[in-house]
This record gives sequence, structure tokens and C-alpha cells, in this order.
Amino acid sequence: MRSASDPASLRAARWGLLAVAAALVFTFPVLAPNAYILSAGVVVANYAVLATSWNFMGGFTGYISLGHAAYFGLGAYGTGLLVTKADVPSFLALVLSGAIVAVLAVPIGIAALRVRGASFVIVSIALVLILLLVFQSWSSFTGGSNGLNVPRPFPDLLRPEHHLVFYYLFAGLLCLALLTWWAVDRSRFGMGLKAIREDEDKAQSLGVPTFLYKLVAFVVSATFTALGGGLYALWFGDLDPIFQFSILVGSYMVLMALLGGIRNLFGPLVGAVIVGSALEYFKLEFGDTQFHLVAAGLLLALVVLFMPDGVLPFIGDQLRRLGPGQSSIREVSAGELLEQNASRGDLPGQGDGVEGRAAPAPSEVTR
Amino acid sequence: MSAGQLSAEAVAGRAVEPGLQATGLTKSYGGVCAVNDASVTFHHGRVNALIGPNGSGKTTFFNCATGMIRPDSGQVTYRGRDITRWAPHRVAAAGIGRSFQLCRVFPRMTVLENVLVAARARSLRTLLGGAYDRELVDRARGWLARVGLDHVEALEARNLSYGQQKLLELAGVLMADPETILLDEPAGGVNPALIGRIGTLVRELNAEGKTFLIVEHNMEMVMSLSDHVVVFDRGRPIAEGPPWSVQADPRVLEAYLGV
Repeated sequence: MRSASDPASLRAARWGLLAVAAALVFTFPVLAPNAYILSAGVVVANYAVLATSWNFMGGFTGYISLGHAAYFGLGAYGTGLLVTKADVPSFLALVLSGAIVAVLAVPIGIAALRVRGASFVIVSIALVLILLLVFQSWSSFTGGSNGLNVPRPFPDLLRPEHHLVFYYLFAGLLCLALLTWWAVDRSRFGMGLKAIREDEDKAQSLGVPTFLYKLVAFVVSATFTALGGGLYALWFGDLDPIFQFSILVGSYMVLMALLGGIRNLFGPLVGAVIVGSALEYFKLEFGDTQFHLVAAGLLLALVVLFMPDGVLPFIGDQLRRLGPGQSSIREVSAGELLEQNASRGDLPGQGDGVEGRAAPAPSEVTR
Repeated sequence: MSAGQLSAEAVAGRAVEPGLQATGLTKSYGGVCAVNDASVTFHHGRVNALIGPNGSGKTTFFNCATGMIRPDSGQVTYRGRDITRWAPHRVAAAGIGRSFQLCRVFPRMTVLENVLVAARARSLRTLLGGAYDRELVDRARGWLARVGLDHVEALEARNLSYGQQKLLELAGVLMADPETILLDEPAGGVNPALIGRIGTLVRELNAEGKTFLIVEHNMEMVMSLSDHVVVFDRGRPIAEGPPWSVQADPRVLEAYLGV
């Protein structure tokens, strides 16, 4: 079991780190020197929500969707249109558009999840492109390329205060997404999803209703992404199909999650902080050039080359290696493994009962 | 209980309850008929073996029976229930567990998790409940101890040897608590000591009430273990019966030697 195999000191360190990180997240607006940095913080928080939402699908089931911007855009436009066309109160519109995307995700999921691997990636991209065209062309309803103005939910607030409120709203949504991911991770449902990631056919032969599991994960993932999009619409106040339904936003979610580590609860969050800050920095430094894209590409290449499991697992391995006396745990059990193998090979007649095997005392050390 | 005794009883006319049954099962790939109008009955409560030369359609038959492949035509029933074209997870829920020819485990999950995956959740509450609940972990550890892998439960499955992965796969199948277990070449690529161990396990589990259907090339294992043997050639059964009678059947010799 994972928690049992981790040494206690490492677990304590992890809790400590978590507390420090949480404190940092919640005091960031106070520490931020100006409104610009604060707004960059909101952008990063938004990315963190999106990447964590993406990871319900990508992390658990291993289905890599490059088109999650579709749900980001639908959530944003759903919220914006409900506010502007139907006069729905801002935050009710946000929840409603989340619900609408959840419902839409069911047929989309049923269609898209019939294929695996590269085909799934292509299908996911196709959906974004279709939505982009629809939202651009249907300008009488969506405002097309002229954009859609979404009135602010708190018209009395000054700009820095507006950023402050939305920073905490995004942080709250992020907490909700992380809690849900954590709950799924430790449930039997999550175990089934991870089995799908490892070997879908094998999981199904063991009785996991794979299609239903994937569909539920897909809907949850799309819904959280849509809530992130809706909150973005209320914060930014101006929507344009070219940004809402962009392959780039979808790719960022993937990049962030992969960079941080998709098997890790906090992986996408860490990835979002790294990539998000880097993107903001490069935009500031190099202006409106495409250099930030080159930087993002380089980052991805570095991660794939040196940390294929992501930053968090990489750091975890390094810590474990540094930790006193802890490096031996794995090696001991691997050594024992060989020993056991050898002794089994020598004793062909020992399969005569469970009692006969109750002897392997050294293995107790590993646990 | 020796295999010989059981077969003798079967021959003496002891009632045989049909378990997994196929009628007119056909599956072709392009022009090649992998399973060709095969009708077979496997006996419930026994150790059944399915043998035949390479390419005789054993694994395809296996896959059709467990829903991994859709047959072109024909019918599969399990204890009288029509399970033709059922999805694999429904077949599993009906009480049939299976292993794979080239052993398949979840490589990046721990040995313990590999077994826990197979715990069936019967309600939404258990589904959302903890995967590491005490009762489940105890049960999983029980099966790991049974196959002799309890000392490596915290390792990722990819770190195990091939033979150990076979045992792990079996432990996973057992965790799902099937009444019938299909093993596709359990002795393939495994050292003789481990073959003996797997054989002993099969015999013990059969005594505890599990039905087995084993596809195997290792004749020694088949002959010592099984109560009922079905021989496949070119996609259909050509002979069946207790091991000793099948062994002497001229059609079987011909199929194997290609005379």
C-alpha cells in the first residue's frame, strides 16, 4: 500500500509542505506587489483549475484529450450568454452552464470514447475546431469575432479588488476540484479508472464496466473545465471564440498536467504554476511575439527527456534517495525477491499447502 | 481426489452438469476461419482442458466465450444462460474469470493494487467507498498469500518476474470470486517448479468448488490435471473425453503430428 510504504518522516514532510503551499496560495494576494501581478495570479489559478479538471480524464484513465478547450469555451460562453441574453444572475449562470456542459458531455463522451489512443486525441481536437467555427460564424447569437461582453458580477469593485475576489473564487474552485480528485483517487471507482489507464481490456475482463467508468470520468472532467471557463468569463468579461476554443489552451492543460505529473493529486497544480508563470513572464518580457510558444515547447521537451513522470514524482524520487536509510527499502525487497525466486526454484515440491509457505520471515522487514 | 478417479466416475455415468457451452460458434478473420462451427460443452465443477496444435482456434474460442471478441455466429451459454456477445465485464459478473495468454498485469500499479482492482463493487456506495478498506485489503492479502506473493505486495507489478506476474494475474482473477476460471496457457514460459505450483493451486481450488477451463500446450500438465479434455483442430473439436482416452485417439495424433 502506498501510504504504508512511505516512511513516516516523508509523510510528515509532505504535510508540512502542503501547509506551507496552502498558506502561500492564500496569502499571495497580500504579497502581490501590484494589480498586474495579482491578475497574473488569477490567470495561473485559472490554469490550475483547468489542468486539474483535465487530469480527471488524462490522469486517471490515460485518455489524452487535446480538446478540453471545448468545455472551457462552452462553460465561458454558456455563462456569458445566460447573463447577457437571459438576464440570469452571474453565479447562477455559472452553475447552470456547468450543468449544461455536463449534460452535453454525455453524448460527446459516448461518441468520443469509442476510440482509444491517437484516434481519441484527433476526435477531441475535431470538436474544438467545430465549436470554434460555429461560435465564429453564428455571430448574431455569440457575437462572433467581435466578442461577447459579459457584465461584471460586482460592478462596484475597483480593478484590484475585482482581481482579489476572483483569485479566491478560483482558489475555492481549485480546492473543490482537488478534493474531488482526491476522493476519486482513493475510491474503488478510481482504482477501476487507473486499471483502465494501465490495461483497458484486462480491467474489463476483471469486471470493471470500463465504458461507464470512462464516461463518468469524462463528464466530471468536462464539468470542472466548464466551471473554470465560466468563472473566467465572469472575471475577464470579454470572450472571443479564437481564444475560448483554441487548441493552444487545450494543449496548455496537457502540458501543465504532464509537467507536474498526472498520477499526482497536485501535479497539474504545480505544472500550472510553472507553465503559467513562465508564460506570463515571457509575454511580459518579449511582448506580443510568439516566443512564449517556443519556450513552452522547450519546456515540454525537457520534461519528456528528463522527467517523463513529471516534476513531482521526480522530486519525490530525489527526496527518497537523499533520505537517511530510506534508499534501502526498495533494494532490500528486490534482493529478497531474487532470493525467494531462487529458493522457490530449488524446492519444486513446496506447493503442498499454504502453511508450508508461512515461513518467509525476512519479508516482514519490508512492511 | 485424483484426476483419474473423477474421470472414471464420469465414464461410469455420473451426471455431468454443463458449464460453459458453445453451439455452432464461428469466427473468421478475412478468409481464415479461426473457429469453425464449434460446438463444445465443458463440465461444471471439473477441470476441463482445451488442447490442440498452434492456430487451431483455442484462444479465439476463449475470447469469443468471454466477450473479448464478437463471434460471427453461434451461441455461448453459461449454466443455461445465454451470454453470447455479452461485454467482458458482464461475463465476469456472471462468474467467469480469465487470464491472458501473454500474461497481463497492471504494470504501474502495486502488486496489492493489482488484486484490489478485481474487488467487485455491488452498489454506488461501495463504488465510492475506499479502495483500501480493511476488509478488502485483508481479502487481497489472503489471495496473495495463497499464490505466494504476499512478500512483494508493495512492489509495482512491472518489477516482478514473468512467472510471478502469472501468479499475480491468477490472484487478481480469484479476487473477483468467479466460479469458473479460464486460464490461457498457464504453464507457458514458466519454469517447471512454478508449473508444479500452479498445478497444485488449480487442484486445490477445484476441490474448493471452482471450475477450470485450461488452454495448454504442456501435455504433462494437461494429462495430470484435467478431468475432461477437448481437442481442437482447425477451429473445431475433433475429440473429447478423459485424458487417457484422448491421448490414444488416432485423430488427435494425426492433428498433432500432421500425418
